[in-house]
Amino acid sequence: MTVELLLGVALGGALLTYVLGKISPGLRNAFALLNALALVVMISLLYGQSFERALPLGFLGLELSVRMNMLSWFFAVTILGIGLLSVIYSLVYMRNKERLDYYYATLLFINASMLGTVVAGDLLSFFVFWEMMSWSTYLLISLRGGSKAIFAGIKYIVMSLIGSLTMLVAIVSLYVSFDTLSITELAGHVQSTTMGQALFVLVLFSVTFVIINALWPFHTWLPDAHAEAVSPFSAILSAVLVRKGLYGLYLLMYAMLGFSMLGKLAWGALSYSNVLAWIGAITIVFAAFRALMQNDSKRILAWSTVGQGGYMVLGVSVATNLGMAGGTFHILNHCIYIALLFFVAGAIEYRTGGIRDLDSLGGLIKRMPVAFVGGLVGICGLIGVPLTNGFVSKWLIYKSLVLEGRPFLAFAAFLGTWGTILYGYKFIHNIFLGQLPDRFRDVKGIPFTMAVPIVILTVLIFLFGVLPGIPLSVVDQVGTYLGFESLNVSIWGIPSETGTLNVVNLLAALAVAGFIVWLVLRAIGRSVSVDQDDTYAAGAAIPSGKYHYTVGFYSPLYRIVGPYVRDFVDAFFLKIAGWTGSVCGVTRKIYTGFVGNYVMYIILFLAALIFVQIAWSPW
Amino acid sequence: MHVVWLFLYPIVALVVGVLFLGLSRKVMARMHWRYGPPILQPVIDIIRLFSQRSASHGRLFDLGIVLSLAGSLIIVLFLPFGDVAPLSGSGGLLVILYMMLLGPLGIALSAGESANPNASIGISRKLMLAIGYELPLLLVLLAFMSRYNTISIVEVVRLQRATGWSIASFPLVVSGVAYLLILPAILAIRPFELVQAPQEISSGPMVEYGGSYLALAKVQHALSMFIGISLSVNLLFGGASHPLIFLLKMLVILMLGLFVNAAFPRLRIEQAIRYLWRWPSLIGLVGLVLAVVIGR
Repeated sequence: MTVELLLGVALGGALLTYVLGKISPGLRNAFALLNALALVVMISLLYGQSFERALPLGFLGLELSVRMNMLSWFFAVTILGIGLLSVIYSLVYMRNKERLDYYYATLLFINASMLGTVVAGDLLSFFVFWEMMSWSTYLLISLRGGSKAIFAGIKYIVMSLIGSLTMLVAIVSLYVSFDTLSITELAGHVQSTTMGQALFVLVLFSVTFVIINALWPFHTWLPDAHAEAVSPFSAILSAVLVRKGLYGLYLLMYAMLGFSMLGKLAWGALSYSNVLAWIGAITIVFAAFRALMQNDSKRILAWSTVGQGGYMVLGVSVATNLGMAGGTFHILNHCIYIALLFFVAGAIEYRTGGIRDLDSLGGLIKRMPVAFVGGLVGICGLIGVPLTNGFVSKWLIYKSLVLEGRPFLAFAAFLGTWGTILYGYKFIHNIFLGQLPDRFRDVKGIPFTMAVPIVILTVLIFLFGVLPGIPLSVVDQVGTYLGFESLNVSIWGIPSETGTLNVVNLLAALAVAGFIVWLVLRAIGRSVSVDQDDTYAAGAAIPSGKYHYTVGFYSPLYRIVGPYVRDFVDAFFLKIAGWTGSVCGVTRKIYTGFVGNYVMYIILFLAALIFVQIAWSPW
Repeated sequence: MHVVWLFLYPIVALVVGVLFLGLSRKVMARMHWRYGPPILQPVIDIIRLFSQRSASHGRLFDLGIVLSLAGSLIIVLFLPFGDVAPLSGSGGLLVILYMMLLGPLGIALSAGESANPNASIGISRKLMLAIGYELPLLLVLLAFMSRYNTISIVEVVRLQRATGWSIASFPLVVSGVAYLLILPAILAIRPFELVQAPQEISSGPMVEYGGSYLALAKVQHALSMFIGISLSVNLLFGGASHPLIFLLKMLVILMLGLFVNAAFPRLRIEQAIRYLWRWPSLIGLVGLVLAVVIGR
């Protein structure tokens, strides 16, 4: 099994899907599914392999290469796994929509180009795949049409282009200095470079990766893009695409520059890692409070994606093996639960006729139990409730922050988690709990193919939460590949001198205690199941759906924090965009595109010249 | 011995918590110049409630309350009680912080399914109050973790035995004061009794519970009181080497709380958050800065 074949299948599959769609929609769907499945099988066969190979074709005398190692494998498996689930989910979700050939082909193409970025062995092919990813993502964000979706797409592509350009400058700078773009060779050369150039390259690359990872202050494209994209694609965006930024940071900080170089780039307390960590901390808190104020189910999730990116950056920038494992594990966990949550939000949207407004939903637990369980487990993972996967990774991050003497960063991380609890509960309550509005009385459950990804991801959250050793052993290998000391991972958790985490003890205790309480409730308590209105109105008829407390769920809190958590960065960027727009508008008034006008300009100019010559005769 | 305590300790905590409830009603009554109910009144109530028939609103309604009580029973196992600390080796203070979430979360899910607007209002207040007191609480806990350089609560207690109570040691006294200022909010007593607020929102999350559900909810409330007080004894007042001394310390803190409870009227949620985010947070922040600076 080779990486070239993997890439070939991914890219070829995307094109072939489009062609097959012209023949028959059924054939296209089957092929897209098969292609995504084949890719997952192929990547699992590549587990544990490590090699680098030059591609037969070069570019302007530069050698292009692909490689495979634990870092690439880890990211590739999340990309292809979520890609497969997203295709399964799309089968019903996207049915009867327009331009489906285009949709499936672009979806697979984005997956292929993301795969390309993580297996690229040199910066040129990395850049090419990166650009392919940016452009195709833009196309799919705006798929739904309408001014909002187009605006979201434009916002994304403008920021993404700025990122690409800074990256291009950095790549050119590296090439001019070292005459090679192979990542492995650069890693050796970079050690001998000057501090100035190292910093220059680092900052330029970081801008790119921070933009795509949507960290504050470059987060502004994400909430719009994720909310406006179609749900299966929102899942891909949130779960894997934004994390390409972290892959870039890993590559840049640890695979290329390495510890010694990073350690040298410090002036007192002001070091690259510190700045990155504080950006992460600000992102966490800001995003948590912004998410709290949203009323759109997908927008809440989009802001949570922004915030969770902060946790990963915190873990990565602490640069101990614990923090690194926490950050890396959190990438995997986030990808699982956020995809699940977007699938759930999409299912709600699908069954209620496109409603995402949290103020008008409610009481759907009895109508859509699978979606409820998925949503609840997903939110628990997002919060990091013990026995879900998010708990383990967050525990690792907190612990490394506390033990490294970074209590203020830890404080930001904890506070962000409490924000998450508030908006997480709001998400669950406003959609599933409370009273069922009359117009949703006949809402049906989730169709089978949409339920499959939801169930798979729900199970994974528990599995990785109770047996964290399974994913952690892979995460640990990523760490050792990047030069960190190996963690002593057991299947139940992490034993260590300074504080053990044993999740199975927790599970056992909770199971026993829960069982005992349940027994007491069953054995002693006698209960009858009654309708919701029964006790509330003591059997009298009440206008149902009228007493649903959702609007302004946390309004007293909004009144306090609202004035302080305005997104002034977004407003600033939009203002710049507005100014640019008006400058261009003025220019357009001069360059009208009519030949007549240009002729008039020329004649006026000549007339002025003649006038000057006649009046003062300077020539 | 270890295994016996594993089962005995939650029961002790349960009994102590319920007796504390009875005691507080009696003490409060005496402060109001009333005679008050007997100390065993909550026990009688719980037995009566269990013997009554109750209404359930669905599976989540049942599961939520089970999760809530089970979660609270487990946190007890993480908190040192004298020298007893059955599960303290499984994650330390960070896990306690997270496990303290299960109690309110269970009640919130369960009450949410009951579809009573009063319950929803109560839960939204509970969560807002929680983020209100978590902000200073996190500052305080981080000051402790930084000062003692550990995330294990057993270690915190052990170190205090060597160096004296943390509330009597210099940088931590600041954090200790902040902790005492937010303790009423953690215990949900007046002036922070706004989650249940019987006169306003008919006991909030409790409104739909009856019979055995109400009994379990009451037990959970008693346990959460035990947990809040026990955490303060362990963190600030050096724990104890014997369970009885530990109980005595808890009783003192309970009495302090009751004085506050008797003297102050209920705040609105906005006032509560403004209070919690102003002085206690500021003092907590100073405490954390001091702990970090002096710790170096």
